[in-house]
Amino acid sequence: MGPLQENGTDTVKITVGVADMKVSNDPEAILVTYSLGSCIGIAVYDPAVQVAGILHFMLPDSSLDPVKAKSRPYMFADTGIPPLFKEAYKLGAKKQRMRIIVAGGAQVLDQQGFFNIGKRNHMAVRKIFWKNRAMVSHEDVGGNVNRTVKLAVKDGSCRLKVSGRGELLV
Amino acid sequence: MKKDIREIVARIDTLKPIPQVANKVMVVSENPQSSMSMLSEIIQYDQALTANLLKAANSAYFGLSRKVDSLHQAIVYLGMDKVVDLVVLGASSENYSQAQEGYDLAGGELWRSSVSSALIARDLAEKTEIDDTHAVFTAALVKDIGKVVLSQYVAESFEKINLLVSKHGFSFREAEKGVLGIDHAELGGMIAERWRFSGKMIDIIQHHHLPMEARFETEAAVVYLADTLCMTMGIGVGSDGLAYRFQKNVLEKMGFSDRDFQEVIAGFGEQISHVEDLINAT
Repeated sequence: MGPLQENGTDTVKITVGVADMKVSNDPEAILVTYSLGSCIGIAVYDPAVQVAGILHFMLPDSSLDPVKAKSRPYMFADTGIPPLFKEAYKLGAKKQRMRIIVAGGAQVLDQQGFFNIGKRNHMAVRKIFWKNRAMVSHEDVGGNVNRTVKLAVKDGSCRLKVSGRGELLV
Repeated sequence: MKKDIREIVARIDTLKPIPQVANKVMVVSENPQSSMSMLSEIIQYDQALTANLLKAANSAYFGLSRKVDSLHQAIVYLGMDKVVDLVVLGASSENYSQAQEGYDLAGGELWRSSVSSALIARDLAEKTEIDDTHAVFTAALVKDIGKVVLSQYVAESFEKINLLVSKHGFSFREAEKGVLGIDHAELGGMIAERWRFSGKMIDIIQHHHLPMEARFETEAAVVYLADTLCMTMGIGVGSDGLAYRFQKNVLEKMGFSDRDFQEVIAGFGEQISHVEDLINAT
């Protein structure tokens, strides 16, 4: 059985919805977030303590609606990213050991700088990571493709499914 | 018409047509003079439709504080407009349960995106000068029905279509047209015609990627915008990705700002679990 086989009897699939975040140290669990579109999925993994987390956020900046940001912090980059790391730290993860994967941020054709939420989501991530000195290990961002991210808690193997390109291990 | 296109068009008959009762409800709802009693007169004899409607009315999406157990109550508590939408929802879901292999959409995914897009389109329509929000709701719900028929042909020619998109700057719809001779929007218009939808609805469905070519440009623009918002959120996006064209001038004409765009996304994101509940009830 491969490390990411979902239908095996000993794996538990944890789905991370839209504007959602999940962290787990259950070695049998696989975290999955589907169909990112212009949203961005951030997957983090600390191999030393086998802690994995995924955030699926929709928009770059919570200043759009501070009330919503309070009730749904995972909707925005700036209110979603800090709790992803904090929850992972609570389970023993350390930033300097973490593998960070960023995926999504696609956009429709011909946007020419208008409404390009995908690009702005990506910029927001870069800004926050730069400020907090977090190093991204792998990025698959932009274009007009759709992406799904799967992360196995046991070994941190991460599969990206990209429309038109198939599934790849990153 | 080329032989291959004739074969595709002939497959329209494999779909289950929208039930007559839903067609009647749509006609009644387009007439501003129609009353609640006219509506309930049409619906009440269709037990399956009424049962589906009550299930949807009681879903968390509407957040009613009490259980609705008759058609009359549903009309009283939700209003005629929402009941009409629910009739259309209940009547349309059947064709969408299968997976759409060519578009790499699992079973139910196309329905999820169709319902989401219809709900967003209705909200947007209420903010414009459009009178007939039902036509917009229904057109947004049914706009991708062409994909159900085209899916198998897209699967067979996927490499060719994908090559045009990834290497030659085609949108996915343009590539469908280029390779198969017909695209899902055009085919959707033909299906709507076969199902005896109104001329307005046929026009909107056919032009949901090219709203500026529609006779009912404002309505088509609203459906187009709802579709773009769904794609941005990754709803119903499959092997076609987000490879559809952004029509900046359409949005400018509507006076739809960047902030409006983000607010709709945030608003929809907030109620997404309730929308799921409605989808599961239909």
